[in-house]
Amino acid sequence: MTLPELTRRTMMASTAALALGLGAAPALAQTPEGVLIVGQIAEPKALDPAAVTAVNDFRILMNVFDGLVRYKDGTLEVEPALATEWTISEDGTVYTFSLREGVSFHDGTPFDAAAVKFNFDRMLDESHPYHDTGPFPLAFFFSAVESVEVVDPMTVRFTLNGPYAPFLSNLAYPTGLLVSPASVETHGAEVGRNPSGTGPFKFAEWRSNEAVVVEANPDYWDGAPELQAVVFRPITDANTRTAEMLAGGIDLMVEVPPVALSQFAADPYTIHEQAGPHVWFLILNAKEGPFADKRVRQAANYAINKEAIVNDVLEGTAEVAAGPTPPAFAWAYNEALEPYPHDPEKARALIAEAGAEGAELTFYVTEGGSGMLDPVAMGTAIQADLNAVGFDVKIETYEWNTFLGEVNPGLEGKADMAEMAWMTNDPDTLPFLALRTEAWPDKGGFNSGYYSNPAVDELLEAARVATDQDERARLYKEMQVIVQEDAPWVFVANWKQNAVTNDRVGNFALQPSFFLLLHDVTKN
Amino acid sequence: MAGYIFKRLVSAIPVLLGISVIVFLIMAMIPGDPATAILGSYATPENVEKLNRDLGLDKPLVQRYFIWLGNMLQGDFGRSFSLNRPVLDEVLERFGATLVLAGTAFVLCSLLGVAAGVVSAARQYGAADKAITFFVLLGISIPSFFLGMMMILIFAVKLRWFPVSGMWPIYGARDISALVGHLTLPALALAVVATGVIARLSRSAMLEVLRQDFIRTARAKGVRERAVVWRHALRAAMVGIIPVLGIQAGFVLSGAVYIEMVFQWPGVGRMLVDAILKRDILLVQGGVVFVAACYVMFNIAVDVAQTLLDPRIKT
Repeated sequence: MTLPELTRRTMMASTAALALGLGAAPALAQTPEGVLIVGQIAEPKALDPAAVTAVNDFRILMNVFDGLVRYKDGTLEVEPALATEWTISEDGTVYTFSLREGVSFHDGTPFDAAAVKFNFDRMLDESHPYHDTGPFPLAFFFSAVESVEVVDPMTVRFTLNGPYAPFLSNLAYPTGLLVSPASVETHGAEVGRNPSGTGPFKFAEWRSNEAVVVEANPDYWDGAPELQAVVFRPITDANTRTAEMLAGGIDLMVEVPPVALSQFAADPYTIHEQAGPHVWFLILNAKEGPFADKRVRQAANYAINKEAIVNDVLEGTAEVAAGPTPPAFAWAYNEALEPYPHDPEKARALIAEAGAEGAELTFYVTEGGSGMLDPVAMGTAIQADLNAVGFDVKIETYEWNTFLGEVNPGLEGKADMAEMAWMTNDPDTLPFLALRTEAWPDKGGFNSGYYSNPAVDELLEAARVATDQDERARLYKEMQVIVQEDAPWVFVANWKQNAVTNDRVGNFALQPSFFLLLHDVTKN
Repeated sequence: MAGYIFKRLVSAIPVLLGISVIVFLIMAMIPGDPATAILGSYATPENVEKLNRDLGLDKPLVQRYFIWLGNMLQGDFGRSFSLNRPVLDEVLERFGATLVLAGTAFVLCSLLGVAAGVVSAARQYGAADKAITFFVLLGISIPSFFLGMMMILIFAVKLRWFPVSGMWPIYGARDISALVGHLTLPALALAVVATGVIARLSRSAMLEVLRQDFIRTARAKGVRERAVVWRHALRAAMVGIIPVLGIQAGFVLSGAVYIEMVFQWPGVGRMLVDAILKRDILLVQGGVVFVAACYVMFNIAVDVAQTLLDPRIKT
């Protein structure tokens, strides 16, 4: 009987083979100094600012490109970038920008007024020879632009079809970043894989599904960056991203899941948090059913324990929202606004007054989606709170794209309430698109709950055409008071974006814009 | 034999056409469209309509199917809008990565599974059989993605023997040792379940053969037990084992989806999951048709291999 020996030999051989595999594993080298490794949540779609829509892609783009203007560090107020100064005509329709001298794109071509015109014409003019390098899904950010003219090589003039206050803020958004016209001419539709901008880092390499590498631009007009290079790694699975951070495979991790935060509470990690222009709310169907009555809508605001949602469900990664405008828009936010307190007694009284006791409510919940945080758990908590004051809430859950397909056309005939979240760059965007009478779904807007108040309509129209920021701020603040009182939504949470860095990373701060700016960051 | 292979190849055509119709219809029927996925919160009906037009999705369904099929027959799988590159480039690149992972896992599970099954059968109810059966049942019972996460936690985060994720190092040489380092954990995690299944079925196939008369004859003629088991019995049992290997190859390939997610392996499974969530129609369709074609080809290869072992099967 030789079989046992053979068996043992076979087993030993396979064990040895495995051990060899173990032995062959390379000693895990530390990541190099001066090279920051960023754990991203997905592979970017393209590195063409006009063609992309995802915050994930913006994180790379903001470090490779510049716009005419940018947000001042730590705020959502614009300051000069590639434009050094600008004038706005009396009627708010003509913007004239003086451009920064001596700036070149990474491909060596000069930055000038013709390049600015090229960028906007490419996006907006369907007859432009490079319009076919699109589609440009966010081009409507600049739909007010009627024409772009080269006044002289260092001056460019935008003419709008009417006063449009968010224009400058939109220019600071990634859709307003400027690409080298020569790179578009050379690469055509492939320009998104061969980007050339004027930013602090220049594109070096894109290895599909592995990494995007950018290198320092020593000639950057605002001073060369501290880092030699940045590597953006797409790691879609949040658990794996957390494991990479713990294992030292990445230096900076964005969008840390709330449940993973405790892993990073101690050295050598630092947790960064920054409230941003985000609001998470419930759309209430004000057209039909119980929520047609303002008292019932207010009752929902009183009934839901928002403190518990942000502290327990979201583990402190959000703050309770008071109204439709996030506090991150500091200049336009009404500080006097206090969130609806959690007051089930008051809610019951209001419901009784409206005669809506025991009303059945259909509640649309999504499984996940951009800015939606933890929608199923939040929806369940909300359901429990509303049932506690005498409603009978039925949840219907949808996958994100399906959910949008149900909610955006309006809730009429389908549901009484739906979850929703927005991240915007200007205090105008969300209320203008989602609270005006003219923004009802049948008119192409996002007012899926059919809220309508002529006073709010007037304030929003006026704020959009006012070019004076103080005047705009006054109008927005007034609007917030009325909207809070009318309660077309349940105002739930403002998300605090988070990130974790290890102890080799210095000078890092998150921005309220949710952009990832790495110009000043160091790594030793 | 050539005629048999040709017949099998011809019969694969309607299968592939059927798959193309099904995947096309599913992508057309699932709620949510690419424009909504791209625009997110900004998906006004007006914006959605314009973007759908730009993406060529405003044409009638039947017309879209034949345009797609026609282009595909000429080797043009279209362009992925979520990755902004040709579908075929992406699929080939990703499929290569999946083949490396699934191929390694398949070789591992075939060798280990068959060896374990043979040993188990030869030592039926012995200590070796009991130990193997225990581990095999354990392996079959653990979901591979959970096993993968545990392996990451122990071998990558705590012990730091292996990298957490990816296929290649971000820095350093892209040589075979770097690949083996990245491949070890995911390939093992992927191989475990299939190893168990193969071991169980190899064991019963071997037991059946070992009871047959020709084995008794061989033993009576004084053939050494090692040769009886590994040469005579195993060869006969392989006829029963090979179809199991073929089926397990399919499971390994589809199980790779989970493992690719957990280990961020840049394979075709992870690509398809991302593409479905983004409603990247052409990428999903192209990817599924390509994978299905490979799977059909593989099955034909298995059948041919079986026919070579046992000509009676050819009918």
